[in-house]
Amino acid sequence: MKKILHYLRSYALESILGPVFKLLEATFELLIPLVVKSIVDVGIKNGDKRYIAAMAGLMVLLGVIGLSCTLAAQYFAAKASVGSVSLMRRSLFERIQSFDYTTLDELGASTMVTRMTSDMNQVETGVNLTLRLLLRSPFVVIGAAVMAFTIDARAASVFVVTIPILSVVVFGIMLVTLPLYKKVQGSLDRVLLAARENLSGVRVLRAFGREADEIERFDSRSDELVGMQKFVGRISAMLNPITYVIINAAAVALVYIGAVRVDAGVIETGAVIALYNYMSQILVELIKFANLIINITKSVACANRIAAIIDMPPEAAGADRDFDKNAEYAVEFDGVGLRYKNGGADAISDISFKARPGDVIGIIGGTGSGKTSLVNLIPAFYKPTRGRVRVLGVDTADADVGELRRRIAIVPQGQTLFSGTIRDNVMWGVDGADGDNDKRIEDAIEAAQGVDIVRAKEHGLDEHIGRGGVNLSGGQRQRIAIARALAKNADILILDDSASALDFATDAALREALRTLDPMPTLFIVSQRTGSIRHADNIIVLDGGVCVGMGTHEELLSSCAVYREIDEAQKGGSI
Amino acid sequence: MNRQRTWSRIFGALRPYMALTIISVVLTAGSVIFTLYIPILIGNVIDLIVGQGNVDFDRIMPILYRILILAAATGAMQWISGTINNRVAYSVVKDVRSEAFRHIQTLPLSYLDSHQSGEIVSRIVTDADRFSDGLLLGFTQIFSGVLTIIGTFAFMLRINVWITLAVAVLTPMSIFAAKFIAQHTYSMFKLQSEARGEMTAYVDEMTAGCKTVKAFGREARVMEDFDEINDKLSKYSLRAIFYSSLTNPSTRFINAVVYAAVTLFGAIISIGGGITVGMLTSFLSYANQFAKPFNEISGVVTEFQGALASAARLFAISDEEPQTPDGEISLGTVDGNVKFDSVSFSYAPTRPLIKNVSIDVAAGRHIAIVGPTGCGKTTLINLLMRFYDVTGGVISVDGYDIRGVTRASLRANYGMVLQDTWLRAGTVRENIKLGRPDASDEEMIAAAKAVHADGFIRQMPHGYDTVLGEGGDGLSQGQRQLLSISRVMLSLPPILILDEATSSIDTRTEHRISRAFTKMMQGRTTFIVAHRLSTIRQSDLILVMKDGDIVEQGTHDELLAKGGFYAHLWGSQFDGAE
Repeated sequence: MKKILHYLRSYALESILGPVFKLLEATFELLIPLVVKSIVDVGIKNGDKRYIAAMAGLMVLLGVIGLSCTLAAQYFAAKASVGSVSLMRRSLFERIQSFDYTTLDELGASTMVTRMTSDMNQVETGVNLTLRLLLRSPFVVIGAAVMAFTIDARAASVFVVTIPILSVVVFGIMLVTLPLYKKVQGSLDRVLLAARENLSGVRVLRAFGREADEIERFDSRSDELVGMQKFVGRISAMLNPITYVIINAAAVALVYIGAVRVDAGVIETGAVIALYNYMSQILVELIKFANLIINITKSVACANRIAAIIDMPPEAAGADRDFDKNAEYAVEFDGVGLRYKNGGADAISDISFKARPGDVIGIIGGTGSGKTSLVNLIPAFYKPTRGRVRVLGVDTADADVGELRRRIAIVPQGQTLFSGTIRDNVMWGVDGADGDNDKRIEDAIEAAQGVDIVRAKEHGLDEHIGRGGVNLSGGQRQRIAIARALAKNADILILDDSASALDFATDAALREALRTLDPMPTLFIVSQRTGSIRHADNIIVLDGGVCVGMGTHEELLSSCAVYREIDEAQKGGSI
Repeated sequence: MNRQRTWSRIFGALRPYMALTIISVVLTAGSVIFTLYIPILIGNVIDLIVGQGNVDFDRIMPILYRILILAAATGAMQWISGTINNRVAYSVVKDVRSEAFRHIQTLPLSYLDSHQSGEIVSRIVTDADRFSDGLLLGFTQIFSGVLTIIGTFAFMLRINVWITLAVAVLTPMSIFAAKFIAQHTYSMFKLQSEARGEMTAYVDEMTAGCKTVKAFGREARVMEDFDEINDKLSKYSLRAIFYSSLTNPSTRFINAVVYAAVTLFGAIISIGGGITVGMLTSFLSYANQFAKPFNEISGVVTEFQGALASAARLFAISDEEPQTPDGEISLGTVDGNVKFDSVSFSYAPTRPLIKNVSIDVAAGRHIAIVGPTGCGKTTLINLLMRFYDVTGGVISVDGYDIRGVTRASLRANYGMVLQDTWLRAGTVRENIKLGRPDASDEEMIAAAKAVHADGFIRQMPHGYDTVLGEGGDGLSQGQRQLLSISRVMLSLPPILILDEATSSIDTRTEHRISRAFTKMMQGRTTFIVAHRLSTIRQSDLILVMKDGDIVEQGTHDELLAKGGFYAHLWGSQFDGAE
């Protein structure tokens, strides 16, 4: 709520002018019954056709003025809502870019995308409606009552009774049904899940012959949904009939009191007609208002969800430190442990090693042994929860992460290419590169064994690749991602299980090319295969987050049981 | 499905609720007529209020009572018909949904494999909803709308022909205005939705790849691209929102003009004594509401057409040809002799997938199937399980042609672990007991222990009662595979099918559970599909498939000695590593 106001401040003028014009329009609308009253009480009574024509002209004129006011109001409201939401969207996106990995893990991509898109759209609608209508409906309702009072105070007392009763009924029913509709939605989601699972698991379910159970499961959820829908339906079906009866009862009371007042000579017939007309205006506005409140409530909920993310702290800035290219060790781990937020146990614990510039370090272990956790500590994607990580002589705990990451290139697991040309993707990590670009790209691609990929493409480097590299094979994607890391010319290069889709020959050629890079970066290779790391200067063997062996291939074969087991399992023999 | 057929299906679905529907229609008609009659009565009262000392209370009071009674009756009728409409709509949806779901259980795998599951789900959930909302509720809206228009027209004609004609001619202008604006804002909406799509795609991509963005320090440039799209979106949104918000004010303005015209004509005619002031009041009420049903109906009609299309899509599922009927025989527990006799199979006649395959597998033997991607390994499993029927030849189990036995009894003899594990949203317990819901907890735990799944299950927050998300969210691929192996371990049928069953389990764990596998496979006919050749070297028979043919068969040593395709595959596995 506060957040919306904050962004609306930049559109203060529009935010005020919108409602003001809307109220002007409502005022003109409220005048119409008075004009009709004059036509009846003056024009018809005196048989004055010219007066009637003039009054009818006045009605059209009021309509024209009303129309222009509305247009102005719509314009200002649209401008303020679109503009403020655009600002809000920008801050949210900027904030998302600034989160550390822990926060990103916690939020999850789909949550963030929902906040950025559908929540933003709902807020936009809500702000727009609020500016246009929030003041208008109460204004018309109260205005109608006030106008009634100017006609005749006694008769207008009907309004004083009717308006609260109608409000209670309309808002009462809305309040009761709103949470119920949410439950209906939840129930519908369960039906959807039952259907989706039935299809996604069709082979397993049929293999186990569960068709009859599935039908029962679906039907019971479907029954639950319909029961809920009927219940809510019965309540919300009361809204129209009840308000209809109330309004008509009020009209009868109004006409009766009006008749008494006319009989007493206080007012004339036209006044009764005007009072009746004002009564009809109230109901429409009240229902509009109730719907508006629902819409605004939704928008506020969306805005609060957005605000919750914008208010989360960004990654700590860190201090400017001098990274020393010629430090004795490129990377040092000193008793390092990492426990993820909400993680029950340490992902890795008590890891210590030192890597000199130009060293090749292999990291091996089973699924979930902590390999990725270890290398993610080097660029400070996560900060160690115990011990110290030093990169090029600087403790990463309080270093500026931007500066740190400029010195490190990583090939992450999974699909991480972006839509754009091959050139864009390879140059993705290079800031403001110029002149020698093509040479740089070609070198990187050549070392990554990707020359044949580019050659096979019609547009070469300018071939467009889809999101996540959809139009490339797994091995091609990996090689482009490796080229992207190489093009960065970083001091430290990390390959996180990123040659898994390459065939053995390409993998071997890649390793050969990496060994002869000039200048040679400190190279970390994460793998499940002993073959990929056997030539490393130092191999770290992980098991359950603990380092169970360290040394060269030959040393480990004789000293480390886990390593030997992995090596042998890969040569064959299981099952 | 053509329109007529769709309609007949809709009426078919409505039949059980016909009586209710008719009651609702009658009540709706009644409430519309009463609603229109009340302004006339009010007008009558107004005419009896002439001036000071000239108010006929004796005649006014009965009319006022009548209004009260009519209003109460209308309210009651509206409520009852509304409740009935809800009930019919929701019940019909439930019926058609249930029918469609039941039918899906009988559809052949060929249909389900060739249709996106998301699309089928959306038909039985979203389309069913739109069908009821748009069609059934839309129907009542159109019905009462049309009735209101006709009724209003009739009542107005009774009062004065000329004013009625004026209203009838002027009112459609507001509809034209609405149409005109809608047509001209369409292009703006298109631009807006394109920009929204672009925004969503960009945000989606950059948020999913946020870690990579940060790893490469590209935040500033991403922000620049974002700003460009954001500005574009704002520009188009402003236009779309502003122009589309012109509709209401414009129609309101035209209605105001109609109102003024009625007042003008009415007042002038009333001076000549043509109508009374009370009649003019009734007229003004009508003029106010005459335009409303027009605008409503034009909105509903669009929805109505969409609902009809939804209904057609939904019924199309129920019209799909079900799988061939089950055989008569119910198979008991078999020994596990499996025979392929000149089996061939193709999805499309021009592209045979399995060509004339004959194998004879004695009970308890272990058969490995290897070959490059697309060679027909998975198809072979589809045929074994009778997910698909052979297009030539015969597959028999213990001498029974599998097409002659019930599917349920055939499949009860198979235990299957697939590469793509499937877990349902539910507890670990439910998932392991899926094949044998009646198993005891001890049996379940023993099965989990046997495949080394017990350990990680116990580490989960609620052990076996931990609720897994859809698709086993929160578990690693390897853990998911262990759970689906426990599932088969628990039911232990005589024939096993292991399709890349351990592909995502790391080599060490795989090594550890291999003993459990060996025990499980003991004395059971087993079909193993694997990419990692090392996992199958102990099989009794290895079938090497290529392009739907069995090109070689024999034991590991025989095939290596032969120096053919298998030997080549085996060799290429180690070339690079050494």
